[in-house]
Amino acid sequence: MSHNFYHYPVWVRLWHAMNAILCLFLIVTGFSMLYADPDNALVVKFQRAVAIHNVCGVLLTISYTLFLFGNLFTSNGRHYLLNIKGLGERLWKQGYYYAYGYFKGEKAPFPVSGDRKFNPLQQVSYVGVMYFVLPMLFITGWALMFPEFILKKFLGLSGIFLTDQFHVVLGFLVVIFLFIHLYVSTMGKSPVSNFRSIVTGWQEAH
Amino acid sequence: MILNRRSITVFILLVTAALAGSAQDQDTVQKVTRGAEMSLFAEDNENNCLVCHGRLVYTITDTVSGLSRKELMAEHNFISRDAFYKSVHWSFSCLDCHSEGFKSFPHAIETRFETGWGCIDCHGYDPTYAQYKFEEIDAEYQKSIHYTATDGAFSCWQCHDAHYYNPLARETGSGRENILKSNEMCLHCHGNPDIMGLVTEKELTMVLPRHEWLPDPDRHLAAVRCIDCHTRMNDSILVAHEVMTADSAVNDCADCHSQNSILMGTLYKYASKESRDQQGFVNGVIFSNDSYVIGANRSKFISLTGMIIIGLVLVFAGVHTVFRVIIKPVKRYYES
Repeated sequence: MSHNFYHYPVWVRLWHAMNAILCLFLIVTGFSMLYADPDNALVVKFQRAVAIHNVCGVLLTISYTLFLFGNLFTSNGRHYLLNIKGLGERLWKQGYYYAYGYFKGEKAPFPVSGDRKFNPLQQVSYVGVMYFVLPMLFITGWALMFPEFILKKFLGLSGIFLTDQFHVVLGFLVVIFLFIHLYVSTMGKSPVSNFRSIVTGWQEAH
Repeated sequence: MILNRRSITVFILLVTAALAGSAQDQDTVQKVTRGAEMSLFAEDNENNCLVCHGRLVYTITDTVSGLSRKELMAEHNFISRDAFYKSVHWSFSCLDCHSEGFKSFPHAIETRFETGWGCIDCHGYDPTYAQYKFEEIDAEYQKSIHYTATDGAFSCWQCHDAHYYNPLARETGSGRENILKSNEMCLHCHGNPDIMGLVTEKELTMVLPRHEWLPDPDRHLAAVRCIDCHTRMNDSILVAHEVMTADSAVNDCADCHSQNSILMGTLYKYASKESRDQQGFVNGVIFSNDSYVIGANRSKFISLTGMIIIGLVLVFAGVHTVFRVIIKPVKRYYES
């Protein structure tokens, strides 16, 4: 008998949907700027890409602020609190399960429950992305919109260039996260059950 | 331990190399010692031509009656000593160029019809200056809107007054200073309705409003030279001289904001070429100057590493999926 847990309240689902759409726009326009080429039909025209990227960046900052408040003032925040003690062992167990135990039919070491929405690998990656990568992306992104505030030189290198390269590295991390996030989402009770849960709010135990 | 002695040494070496790299440009700029005290003709110039032309107010005396009066020197006949002796033509005597009747005073009426040498007259077809390709510059200039729209009345002098000429790109260490001085040349006329009103009957519009289509126009205009967008790009000469009509100017962002940015063939050409040849695109072009252009300053290393990791993630997901598809049914079969 499977249990369902209401892990995604309305505000989380709305935030997640907005986050997903904005991130897709930011990734496409970000790549378009990085690989800008007047003869390349695959990339969005530079001027349009810049405008869309800036607007989506501002909206994502607002949406992220709402998420932060949500995590501060609702119980959703507890899923993002890392317990460092024994973390390495838990990560190893979960990694072993994905790489081997899953195929042997072993039970998930950290199944979804009323108290647990994320397994240790998910928790670490979500905390890393939400509390480090995204804030740094916002800081560097906003700095690039107001480059007069960026240090002119840092260790003999152009400050604006370093800021941009850091922004690009973080952008790549988000893309890598997105692919892993999407793939791991197919490993629920069924390949589509996790996608269904982010729409309905109810997550099936697995 | 992460911070061992070896990693600290490597870090210090990296920092030192970065700082040394930024100082290297300063050392390689060659300055020629100039000045009135170095010129063989300074005294001669001072005691003759500059008695009047070196002053904003000069005194003219009637040698018959002995009467004297003060006159204002016309702006285009005034020579600033300091600027002249800092220019590339600092070592010349005034009469080397102004030889048609200027030796006597008062000047003969013929001096009003002085030819007025252009750059090509002295520097053209001379092996000493072959590297600067004055012939090609002259050919470009004759195709430019400055020449064609004025029936040749416009000359080199309107932008490059030989009395004060200094080769910006070769002598200024700072790219921003180079841009500022280059744009001052254009704005001297195009930013001054009083001057432009004399040469065109078109309704004049100010420079800034015409560039408002650019995002953050102030920053753009401070970061590039007018000629980077308003001349036809020519890789074979240092500075392109075929100034185009406003309608033909660059207006596609990706012309500059792309890996093949035209700025590499214009603004950054001189500063970048040597270091690019020696250090490659990323280190030579980006790390050796202050320029930054979205899309153009792409780090190939970061892009390649990012793409490889994304590729590996996709391969891993693909292999994992295959195992999921193959192993589960086999397992289910044996279990049943």
